[in-house]
Amino acid sequence: MEDSAIFNVQEQWLRPLRCELNVLSRPDGSAMITQGSYFILCCYVNTFLYSYRVHIFFFKGNTAVVAAVYGPVDVKPQRILVDKASIETVYKPKSGLPNVADRMRETIIKNTCETALLSAIHPRTAVCIVLQEMQDSGGLLSCCINAACMALMDSGIAMKFLVAAVSCMISEDDIILDPSDKDLMGSKASLTFVFDSAKKNLVASHTSGVFSQEQYHESLLKCRQASCEIFEFYRSLVKKYIICI
Amino acid sequence: MDAQYKVIDPVKFYRDHLAHKIRPDGRGLLKFRPAVINVDSIGTADGSAIVKIGNTTVVCGVKLELGVPKPEESNIGWLVPNVTLPPLCSPRFHPGPPSDEAQVASNMLAEILSNASVLDLRALCVVPERLAWAVYLDAVCLNHDGSILDACVVAAVAALRTVRLPRVEHDADKDITKVFPDERSSLPITGAPIPTTHAIFEDEVILVDPTSDEESLASGLVTITVQNDQMCSVYKPGGSPLADENMQACLSRARTRAIQMNNLIEAALAARDKEETKDQKLIS
Amino acid sequence: MHITVGDVVLPGDLIGEQDELKKVVYGPGLRVHQNQIYAVTSGIFKKKPDANYYYVDTFHQKRYVPVRSEDVLGVVTNKSGDIFKVDIGSSEQASLSYLAFEGATKKNRPDIQVGDLVFAKLVVASRDMEPELVCVDSYGKKGKLGPLPEGGFVFSCSLNLVRKILKKDYPLFNVLGKDISYEISVGMNGKVWVKAATIPQTIAVCNAILAAEHKTKDEIDEMSKQILKMLAYC
Repeated sequence: MEDSAIFNVQEQWLRPLRCELNVLSRPDGSAMITQGSYFILCCYVNTFLYSYRVHIFFFKGNTAVVAAVYGPVDVKPQRILVDKASIETVYKPKSGLPNVADRMRETIIKNTCETALLSAIHPRTAVCIVLQEMQDSGGLLSCCINAACMALMDSGIAMKFLVAAVSCMISEDDIILDPSDKDLMGSKASLTFVFDSAKKNLVASHTSGVFSQEQYHESLLKCRQASCEIFEFYRSLVKKYIICI
Repeated sequence: MDAQYKVIDPVKFYRDHLAHKIRPDGRGLLKFRPAVINVDSIGTADGSAIVKIGNTTVVCGVKLELGVPKPEESNIGWLVPNVTLPPLCSPRFHPGPPSDEAQVASNMLAEILSNASVLDLRALCVVPERLAWAVYLDAVCLNHDGSILDACVVAAVAALRTVRLPRVEHDADKDITKVFPDERSSLPITGAPIPTTHAIFEDEVILVDPTSDEESLASGLVTITVQNDQMCSVYKPGGSPLADENMQACLSRARTRAIQMNNLIEAALAARDKEETKDQKLIS
Repeated sequence: MHITVGDVVLPGDLIGEQDELKKVVYGPGLRVHQNQIYAVTSGIFKKKPDANYYYVDTFHQKRYVPVRSEDVLGVVTNKSGDIFKVDIGSSEQASLSYLAFEGATKKNRPDIQVGDLVFAKLVVASRDMEPELVCVDSYGKKGKLGPLPEGGFVFSCSLNLVRKILKKDYPLFNVLGKDISYEISVGMNGKVWVKAATIPQTIAVCNAILAAEHKTKDEIDEMSKQILKMLAYC
């Protein structure tokens, strides 16, 4: 089952978001999220000696991530924690071996999920989150975090709140939400924010590039609004899956 | 008595201190530890700096090497930062391949240096397509007592300021490279990004410049890097959700701290220059 | 309650304030924090018909978390000393003492081998301790508990399917039982054991149960008819 939504946040568009839950049969919870897949139709009319030429450009961009959750499961003795569940995250890039940048993604995702889970309910166990990058067209970190959150929700582990990640970029004087990789090439800074569903406070933040404090605050407010849309999307997704209980 | 109380219930130990707005090491909640910078202390390296923030000690050494630029980026050199957290610095680390924390720190250091455009890589190119400098920046932590990223970035920036590139002559026809180690010019370093780490304790209290114990008890960490009053990096890897006012306060604090640290780096470099002129006077 | 019974809830949703005066029981899927009640799993917020008992019916949960006094189906994985180690699909294996069987004494041990299936009740199931099972009730009688007979087929399904089919008024078992005679054992840990006279009949019953996950009560009749029709061809 699939669900898609095109968001409009104050005339700024987030790319279409699609999510499918329980895509894998073995893990306790799994989710596949794709962001993107839009096309632009451009007509270019050229008149030369009364003739018309029309060019049509098709443009596709799609960031896709699959996340799987196993938990609570048995934990290795060196990672055992007596008062809460130990969270392990594995991120696999599309090709090649994981490098230091992927380790940092794992750390951000692990800490974000640790905040969201009620890990004190399952001491001396492990929750293992595995992410596989399928395609990257910008906004990969936010797509990964959304997929991990959906997979955790699908597995039924107790969570304090859900999280939604939104990425944005700062170009000359504009703040653009959910940029694709083509948009990012001309950016001054790109920021990823993660908000919780309870009070919409900032759970995680990762930036690259240079920006001012005011620009940071403005981007944070815009992304917070966009995260509300993403939480609505989660709710409609769950409603669709629940019909047969 | 105090030490036993800390071992039995560390969270309550900290909570009781914070209720009186003080930390176990006597600092206020928003007080930074004293920082010490010493530059150019390693004779065998092409540039070096030692930074001590409280007990956290990081040594950064720079080594230069000549190499052939990549064909697709034929007019730039390389800046290769690396952070090592050996078992020496903390009982948390074991011998073997770099731990996750070391890898994340290396990545953050590389990101911060590139975001802040500290070094224009084109200045490292000697002869386009043929010869370029590779600057290897190794930050080794000698004592990990929290805020490791703060110390590493400051050490890296200070070390880069002390690097002097020797003059290189390259004869293209005969393919001979001559290096003149005595004729040196400094690297064109623009700006100095300064990180500030905050710890969030039990979702409510924000501590500045946490020690290693505070970091392990904290429910969240935020590292904000500032250069020239602009933010280069706001890194919050999960942890307790932070309200807007608190985040804004952290950003403002990071900006004031950056000014203080910059003054410190300048003072250290000035002291080094004074020593050099004194030595030169003695020799001549 | 701000959210009414029958609503879809997501983790973090505020259900309401804790009422100090009324005696209310908050079951699985709910958490009380600083006098507020929050949902911790996604599902439907439900209330038991004649009691002040609220809970969240979690949708799509596969991993079992041991709960006291639930009946589960497990596989014996180890025999060591006085206890059997049984895999019930939770994070830790459960232990089953060999004395916890009807008529078992130190000299008269039960005839259970590694790999056998047991239907047992959880007596100790907390987050801090290893789960413990027994195959007798408090009167020392085995009732429906104990090792399962030879033959049959075990499969896994999600936990909410198991809860659904075990409801008193769910027609699935009766409808299937009209045409096929079978034995069935349903563990709350998502494991189901079925044994019918022939293998095609066993598989038909298993498929009927799995298909019931996405069907409402009214569609069960229709679905069973289809399955029995297919069976007639075998």
